This record gives sequence, structure tokens and C-alpha cells, in this order.
Amino acid sequence: MLLFSVLSGIIVACLVPFLFKFGRKPASIIISMVPLSLFLYYLFNFGITDNLGYSESIEFFPALGVNLNFVMDSYALIFALIITGIGTAVFFYSSYYLAEHPYLDRFYIYISIFMASMLGIVTSDNMVIMFIFWELTSISSFLLIGFKHREEKSRYSAWQALLVTGSGALALLAGILLLYVITGKMNFSEINAMPGIIQSSTLFLPAMFLVLGGAFTKSAQMPFHFWLPNAMEAPTPVSAYLHSATMVKAGIYLMARINPAFQGAIEWETTLTIFGGITMLFAAYMALKQTDLKRILAYTTLSVLGTLTLLIGIGTPLAMQAMLVYLIAHALYKGTLFLVAGAIDHGTGTRNIDEIGGLRKFMPITAVAATLAAFSMAGVLPLFGFIGKELLYEAALQPNLFGYTTFAIVFLAALFGVVAAGMSAIFPFFGQAKYPNSKPHEASFTMYSGYVITAFLGLLFGLLPMIVSDNVAKAVSDIYYNLPVAVSSSMYLALWHGFNLVLFLSLATLALGIVILMFRKKLFAIIRKINLPEYLLPSKGYDMSISILIASARLTTKVLQNGYLRNYITLILITLLILTSYSLFTFSDLSVISLYHPVTIYEIIIAAIITISTILVVKSSGRLQAVAALGVVGIFVAVVFSIYGAPDLAMTQYSIETLTVILFVLVIYKLPKFMHYSKFSHRMQDFFLASAVGLTMTILILMVTANEMPTEFKEYYGKTSYLLGKGRNIVNVILVDYRALDTLGEIVVLSLAALGVFALLKLKKDDRGFE
Amino acid sequence: MWNDLLMGSPVYLSAALAIIIILVDAFSGKNKSLTFYFALISLIAVGILSAYTMNMHGQPVPEGGFSNGMIAYGGISAVFDILFVIAGILTLFASQSYMRAQNVERKEFYSLILFAVCGMSTIAHANNMLILFVGIEIMSITFYIMAGFFRERFTSVEAALKYFLLGAFATGFLIYGMALIYGATGGLLDFEAIGAKMLTGNVDFLYLRIGFALLIVGLSFKVAAFPFHQWAPDVYQGAPTMATGFMSTAGKAAALAALILVTKAMLPSNFDPALISDKIIEMTDFTTDAKWLIAIISALTMLVGNISAVVQKNVKRMLAYSSVAHAGYLLMGIVSNSINGWSGIVFYSMAYMFMQIGAFVVVGIIEKNDGRMDLKDYTGLSKTNPMLAAIMGIFMFSLAGIPPFGGFPGKYMLFIAAIESGFTWLTIVAVISTIISIYFYIGLIVYMYFKDSETPMTEKFGFSKATLTLVISTIFVILLGIFPTYLIDLVKGLF
Repeated sequence: MLLFSVLSGIIVACLVPFLFKFGRKPASIIISMVPLSLFLYYLFNFGITDNLGYSESIEFFPALGVNLNFVMDSYALIFALIITGIGTAVFFYSSYYLAEHPYLDRFYIYISIFMASMLGIVTSDNMVIMFIFWELTSISSFLLIGFKHREEKSRYSAWQALLVTGSGALALLAGILLLYVITGKMNFSEINAMPGIIQSSTLFLPAMFLVLGGAFTKSAQMPFHFWLPNAMEAPTPVSAYLHSATMVKAGIYLMARINPAFQGAIEWETTLTIFGGITMLFAAYMALKQTDLKRILAYTTLSVLGTLTLLIGIGTPLAMQAMLVYLIAHALYKGTLFLVAGAIDHGTGTRNIDEIGGLRKFMPITAVAATLAAFSMAGVLPLFGFIGKELLYEAALQPNLFGYTTFAIVFLAALFGVVAAGMSAIFPFFGQAKYPNSKPHEASFTMYSGYVITAFLGLLFGLLPMIVSDNVAKAVSDIYYNLPVAVSSSMYLALWHGFNLVLFLSLATLALGIVILMFRKKLFAIIRKINLPEYLLPSKGYDMSISILIASARLTTKVLQNGYLRNYITLILITLLILTSYSLFTFSDLSVISLYHPVTIYEIIIAAIITISTILVVKSSGRLQAVAALGVVGIFVAVVFSIYGAPDLAMTQYSIETLTVILFVLVIYKLPKFMHYSKFSHRMQDFFLASAVGLTMTILILMVTANEMPTEFKEYYGKTSYLLGKGRNIVNVILVDYRALDTLGEIVVLSLAALGVFALLKLKKDDRGFE
Repeated sequence: MWNDLLMGSPVYLSAALAIIIILVDAFSGKNKSLTFYFALISLIAVGILSAYTMNMHGQPVPEGGFSNGMIAYGGISAVFDILFVIAGILTLFASQSYMRAQNVERKEFYSLILFAVCGMSTIAHANNMLILFVGIEIMSITFYIMAGFFRERFTSVEAALKYFLLGAFATGFLIYGMALIYGATGGLLDFEAIGAKMLTGNVDFLYLRIGFALLIVGLSFKVAAFPFHQWAPDVYQGAPTMATGFMSTAGKAAALAALILVTKAMLPSNFDPALISDKIIEMTDFTTDAKWLIAIISALTMLVGNISAVVQKNVKRMLAYSSVAHAGYLLMGIVSNSINGWSGIVFYSMAYMFMQIGAFVVVGIIEKNDGRMDLKDYTGLSKTNPMLAAIMGIFMFSLAGIPPFGGFPGKYMLFIAAIESGFTWLTIVAVISTIISIYFYIGLIVYMYFKDSETPMTEKFGFSKATLTLVISTIFVILLGIFPTYLIDLVKGLF
């Protein structure tokens, strides 16, 4: 049932084309019921009945330890509920928001697959299965970002997002395989039980960094963050769902999920803290520079992702608790704000914050939802975001690797967060009414019902934190190796902690934020002017690596693939030379070659003739001379054969030489003129190559002949050729008796060649007409 | 005798039918479908016999029987047979529609497919270096003809000529290598006997090394591995599209089958305990060097193949380069020299066959008869022909090794096998080159889905036999991705 619930999105995706036969509206409503029913299923079957740790397993690829192991624990449940809950809002919202879009059916296919894969990521215990779902989210995200593909920018962003997260995913796969090499296990539950073995392995650091490569690209940590703001080209519901509430959290999910295996290693904590901290602060600052509503939200999302990474890096149970609360709060308010941004876009036709204001008169319901979400984002009492921020401050104040620097960063980022909340959700609705075009209109019920519910849930969780408290505490023990029992039982969430340092800091953040907002005009004017030098931007790095790739591709193609046969042969010969001479000169004793053989005068003559003719072949200026000289070489090689007792071979050689000449004569008048000579440099190159190959091969043959060859065959034929074959010439007996079939074959081949010659002779010019 | 005949029947039957089909072809006059159906039925018959003999694996090869022990039976050879037969059938279907669209239907093509299958199946069943050689030559010569099949087209003729000249060159190395190995092992040609001899360490290591290197050079040429890959893009682009699909899948698989045979025999992992220690050292030195040689070839092949594919504007040529890269991935299985690696090769070749032939069918459909093969010709395909675009998209994702399609489990197995055999760096290289490959595979999808053409393709493509190939390929690419375990378990049990 769990498996079915995970995969139901994919099943629905297959049914979408049929459902759309019944009309767009009913189909979208029916499809939107899927996340809703899944949400209810997870809520009632796991959340309320506390049926956690439930698992299902199906064999998939058992030979290599890959099986469909699905586990629903408290940690997974939090994600599952966010995925299906926000999913419900987004599905309904899109049915109105994209109602006019010609490819609404495709949208639902992609997004259903996405939902299923996201559920797959958070419920699969097997790392490879998780990776498979991970890749599926990349694909569906790619298709969804490119959904509004009219613009070049949108294509560029989709491609960029896929290349960055796809590459990261492959790094993750490599990390998973290394973990498998270390432990021999493929399941999180097994890996997480053996931190000692993993951390003492020499492969620990490579494995850790590869896994982080996957997590950081997916969760858009610096310096891999640039794809996320660009991904805002996607339709707003997609941004709300993928690029804020769920997919970008997959990296966070993975880091916390695998935390027990890496926990305690100083490299793990340092890396996460540094990357998280930098992302958090940098993104919060960048948010203030933006004017596009969605880009502001994107950068604040980045900042939150940094915060979550940082909290995992701090690594105390409290930090983990803070991470989970912050994550839930963020999903609720950011999901709301993105959908609100879409509603504003839909209602006014713009997303530029400088062009809009005072929309509460036209969009009262949306204004309420936006305000609640903004308050949660800013950490205003009594919203859930407030509890999150309290915990965050508490965790950052705990002793950690970087002391108070950590807290300073957290505080600054939170302050910028307050400002961004004001910019993105308060000012568009309050103050002087302004809008670019026609009169803005309120969103429809199907659109706003989703985000109103998420906004109010933020309030509800704030007022009654005990709803989530228990599950969060259990989830902490899921992602913390050997959590002390005392700690886990003392974890409860409360809105009010009394007057203490943290409360004071929270209030200070708010107050400072409000002050900044009051002077925002001047401040923004300054901030928007300060630009980072371009070469410092990581997206430049992306563009550069793409151009390097393309340049190197051009180069390889030019060097290796120029279309000239002679260059191909040159490379093959060079390789041959390297391979042979390596073995020859490393592993052999060249002294076995004896240089003193008795030489007869006719051997010298033959050698001289062959050499001279070869030189003539190369130097000759006409085609006929070259062929004639080549013929001389062949004939004299045949002479060598006949001298050394291989008359049959010699005969074959003679006939082949003759045949070649006949064939050549037949075609000589049809050949183009012989006038292109290669350049001197090419000739020299060929000369050296030919000499080197010739020399190596000669040495090889001398080595071979210097060796004693197995004599059993010689003896066998010597003994039996007279007795069985009734012949005194062993070679003849072998040819006509032992290899009679072979000889027959040779005769057939020769006859076929003769037939070919005959056909060529008969060929008349007009017969060559093509079909 | 009869049992012997039965067990080797896929080879004998395909050879016999290949000879008969020439006669059918010669005497059937203008009737083209007779040759077509004869080829189809022959392939099916060979396939059924292969499936039937598959479990006869492990039975002792009868001495002095029909094949005199030179032919291996059943088991993995039969799996390869089935692969070749499927590739043949898919190509048969696709080529009929393709040639009709090009207005050059010549029935010889159907008999060539049968000939090629005969050669490839001979390779897979070889238990002897000479049989291997004969198989490779039957296959190669058929491929030369296939490459030049559109003999009135310059590109096709050029492809055939290049292929032939370089192929003949490579064959020289192959036979030279075999001769040296024959000498090094004291006059052995049978793979089983060579394997047994290697265990004793009683061989001449110098000739073994050079012979092995030359053999690898010759076979690398057939798989199109760096630096012997240069013919591949030119030939694959120039050859008729369906021939390219066939050559680059079944042909590659056959060459890998040959590599498996050779390396399995020549690179033993455990030695005779009675071996004296300096022989063991020489032996391990040789196997390590041999594996490194193949590993370097493999790494460079995937990098060069994928990097070169990045800038290709012609889809057919891009797929040709990607085919080179896939040879690199497949060689990882040879490097690992383990059952995991070999079964990875079989699985990957099978999945690769479906996706590559499928992709080439799409290329062939778009190409029609005006040679449209550029990336820009695919612009906006998702609007005019959504099914075709979706199918091509699946093939591209699968070629990129993105789950849950058939390309992933095979690649995963090969990665694992390489890591297990201590070649972690090779896996890293493979991961990097896979990342590079995402760029161009997805590039095609961007063209099909995200771009709007100024001159949208108007025609829709109707049903033909090629559609059958497409449907079968798509189904199997998905099935192999979702249920890989059936094939994997089957293959693993056969080694």
C-alpha cells in the first residue's frame, strides 16, 4: 500500500491523456484529488495512528543489493505530508492558474511524476532507489521549468538546472557506490548504523564530498545556487512546489537522513556549517537587491536552505529540532507566498514590487493570507515561524565550531529575512494603491483556498505547537545517531518560553527589520547599485565550463576526426608502436637475437632489389611506375618463399600479383590524374613512422624466430604424412590431405576472383546506369 | 552427434539459411516481400533454437563431434544469439519502411542482415580463435557492404571504403595477435585450453603480451574504441541509417562477446596453487597490465566519444559519437573481468540495442528522403508529432543513463563491477563523461520540446513496420529499466 501510494503519481500521469478526454476542468479537478487523498492517507494511516517505522520491500535488483525498500518513519512523514499537502494546494491552484494553457495535460503529467518521485525520495530506504527518484525529480523539474518555453531564457534555465542538478546527482551516485564499497550495504538504515566503519575508512572523505555534491546542487547551496533563481522562469505553481517547498529540500532531506553515518566527523560539520552559513547570508543579502517578487522569494528560499544546512552542521539534537521546525514553517509560509505572488501576477499582470501597492482593496483574502505568511517569515508571535526562529537562535547560541560568528550570521540573515518579508508580502498589499494596467482582481476560490489554508496552518501550529511537537521529536531521533533518551523526551515545542535572551533577540530582529523597512527607499537604492564583479559569480563559472567543454569538443573533433584516412591510420600505427615496443623493450632480452647468420649472395641480391623497388614506389612520379615497382616487390617476396621451401605460397603470391596488375590495368584509365603529392613535412612524418614500425616489427620477428617453437606438429606431420597420406612432400600432403577442404576453399575463392575479373571485363559503360 | 548438432544449431542454421536466402533472393525476381519474410522467419527460427539451447549450458563439449569442440554451446552464447536475432528483426522491420521512404528498396539488404547475424552468432559461439576470426570476418564483410548499400550516394560509398580499408588493416592485427598467442601458449587455439594453460603459468610472457595487445587493438577497432574509433563517426554517418543502427548495436555486442571470450580465457584471476612464485609474479603483472591497458582505452573512449558529441549538429553523427562513448562504458565490464562485469555488458548491450536502434528509427523517419538530420530539423517535434518526440525523449534519457529507463541498470552494474575490481578511478571518469553526455542528449530534447520552429514540420508520420520497431524498442527500454532483475539473474546464472 505504501509502495502504491508512492507510485500513484506515476500511474495517474499515465492516465492523464485519457482523463483529459472528459474535458480540461473535470480532469484537473480529478487529478488534484490525488495529492489530497494521499495527504489524508498519510495523515490518518501514519500520522494519527502513529503507525511509524512501517516498511515494505520488493525485490528489484537483488543481485547488486538494490531493492525497493520503503520505510515511513517520522522524519519521512514530515516530508510526505508537506509534499502531498502543498501538492494539493498547487494542483488545485494550477487548474485555474494554467486553465488557458494549451498543454495543461502535459503539465499535470510532469507534476504528478514529480510528486511521485519526491515521495519516492523520502520513503525509500535503499540509496540507489532514492537516487533513481532523485533523477526523476531532476527530469520533471527540467520539463516544468521549460514549460513556458517561448523564451530563450526559459530554455537556458531549464537546461542549466538539469545540468547542475543532474551532474550533482551523478556525484551522489558515485558517493553511494563508494559507501557501498566501504560498508557493503545499500540501505540508509544499515549505513547509518555503522558510522565508525565509514568514518575510519580511507574512502570516507571522497564519499562524503560526493554525497554532498549531490545534496548541495539539489538544495542550491553556494556556489551551486545560481540555477535556482533562474528556475523562476517556471510557472508560479511550479516555483511554489518544486523550487521552494519540496524539491530543493531534497538535498536537505538527504543530508539529515545520512547524518547518523557522518555525524561527529569534524569535516562533515565544518563543511556544512561553512557552506550553509555563506549561502544563508549571501542569499539573504541578494534578496534585497531584487525587484521581481519571485526572485525575492527565490533568494529568501536559498537563504533558508543555507540555514537548514547550517543547522545540520551544528549537529546538536536542538539544532536538528530547529531544522525540522524551520523546515515545516518555511514550507507553509513560502508555499503561501509563492502562490500569492502568482495570484498577484494573475491579478495585475506584473511581479515587479516597485509597480504594485495597496492591493488589499482588490484582493482582500489574498492580503490576509499574505500577511499571515509574512509574519511567519519574519518570526512574529504567535506564528509558527516565531517558534522556528526562537529555536534557530537557541541552536546558534549553543557552543559550536565557529563560536559567535555563527550566531552573527544567523542574526544578520534573519534580519534581512524580515526586510524581505516586508518587501514581498506586506508592501504590495498596503500603502498607496498602484498597479500597472487594468483593475486587479481577486483570485478565484480554487486558487486561494489552498494558500489560505497553508497560511492559517502557520497560525494554527504557532498557537498549538503540540500538534507537531511529538512527531518532530521522533523525527530528531530518526536523524540523530543514538539520541539520548533523556534528550528526546525533553523535546517539546512551546510558543512561549518566558522572558529570556532569545526572546529579546527575536524582538530585536523584528524591531531592526522594521526600522530598515521604514528607510527602505534610500537603502535599496544603495544596495541595488552595488554589484559583485561578474567573474566572482558562480554562474559565470557554469557558463565558462560549458564554453570550455564546447571548445575542447571542437578541438578533439578537429584533431582526431578530420576525415582523412591517412591520419586515422597514423594514429593506429602510433598506438601499435607504443604497445609493441613497450612489451618488447621492457620484458625481453634482446640479446637472444643473433646478428650473425650465414648470408648467401642471392639473398643479398633479392634484398637489394626489394629495397630499391620500395624506394622507387615511394619516389616515383607516375601511377604506372609505382604499381610496377610494387609488383617487383611482390614478385621478389614470392621468390623468397620459393627459395625457402614454400612453393605453394610462392604460387599464390605470383597469381595474386598478376591478378592485381590485371585489375589495375582494367581501371587505370578511369582513375583521376596522379598529381597530388603530400607535403614534405607529411612525408618526413610518414617516413619516421614507417621506419619505427618496420624496425619494431623486424625485431619482433627476429625474436620470434630466435625462439624454439613447439615441435609437436612438425613431428606429427613428419611421422604420419607418409603413413597416412602416402606422400613424401610434407607440404603437399598437408595441402591436399590434411587441409583438403581448406584448399578447396582457396580454389573457390580464386575462381570467384576470376569471375569478378570476368565481370569487370564484360562491363560496358552504359551498363553502369544507376537504379 | 545429433545432440551436438542441436546444441550448435543457431550457428549452423543461420549459416545454412544465409546461403539459402541468396538463392531465394536470386530466384524471386521482383517479389521483394518473399526475401523479407524468409529473412524474418529464419531469424525467428534461429531465435527459437537459441532459446531452446540456452539451458544446455555446462554440458561437456563432445570430443570429435560435429564441431570438434570448436563451437561453444548454449549459455551466454545463446543469450548473445537472441540479442543478435532481436536486433536483426528490429532492423528488418525498420529497414523496409526506411528503404521505401528513400525509394531504394533492394531486397539484398534483408539477406545481408541474416548474413551478419550468422557471423555474429559464430563469434558468440566461438570456442576457438580461428572460429572467432571467421565469425568476425563474416560479420565485418557484411557490414562493409551494408555501409555502402546506397551505392549511388557519395557518403555511403565513402563510408564503405573507409570502413573496408581500416577494417582490413585491423584484421591484420587480429590475426597477428592470434598467431603470437598461439606461439606463446605452445600451439593452442581453443579458448578453454588457453585458459587452462594460463592457469599453469607455463607460457611465454613476451609473446603473450604482444599478442594480447595486438588482439586488443584488432578487437578495439571492431568495438570502435579509442584510438581505433575514428572510422565510426564517418561510417555511421554515411551508412544507411538502419544499417548504422544495426552495426552500432549488434555489431558492438558481437565484438564485446569476442572480447569477453578472449579476456575470460587469458586473464585468469586465480592460479594453480602448485605454481612457482616467479611465474605467479609474471602472471599477475601480465593480468594487471592487460586490465590497465583496457581501462585506459575505456576511459579515453568514453571521454573522447562524449566530448566530441557535444558539438555535433547532425543528430546521426551525434549518435555515432555517443555510440563510441557507449563502447567505453561497455569496456568497463571487460576491465572488471568478473561475472558482474560480463553480465553488465550483456544487459547493457541488450538495453543499448533497443534504445539505439529505436533512436535511429526516429532519425530515419525524420530523415525521410531529403536527408534532414540536423538538430534544427527536430525543432518543435513535440507539437507536430508528440508521440514521436516522446519516444525519442525516452531514448535520449535512457542513453544518458537516467533512471528509470533501460540505460541505467546496465550502467550501474558496470560502475559497480569496475569499483569492485579496484578501478574506482575508471568509475569516476565514467561518471564525469556521463555528465558531459547529459548535455547533448538533453540538447536534443530541448530542440524537440522547448523550441518553436519558424518552419514547423507539418507532416505527420503514419503507421508502418518501422512503428513496430519503435513500439517494441520503447516497451523494452522501459521494461528493462523497471524490471532489470529478470534479465540480470538469467545472465548471471549462465556464466
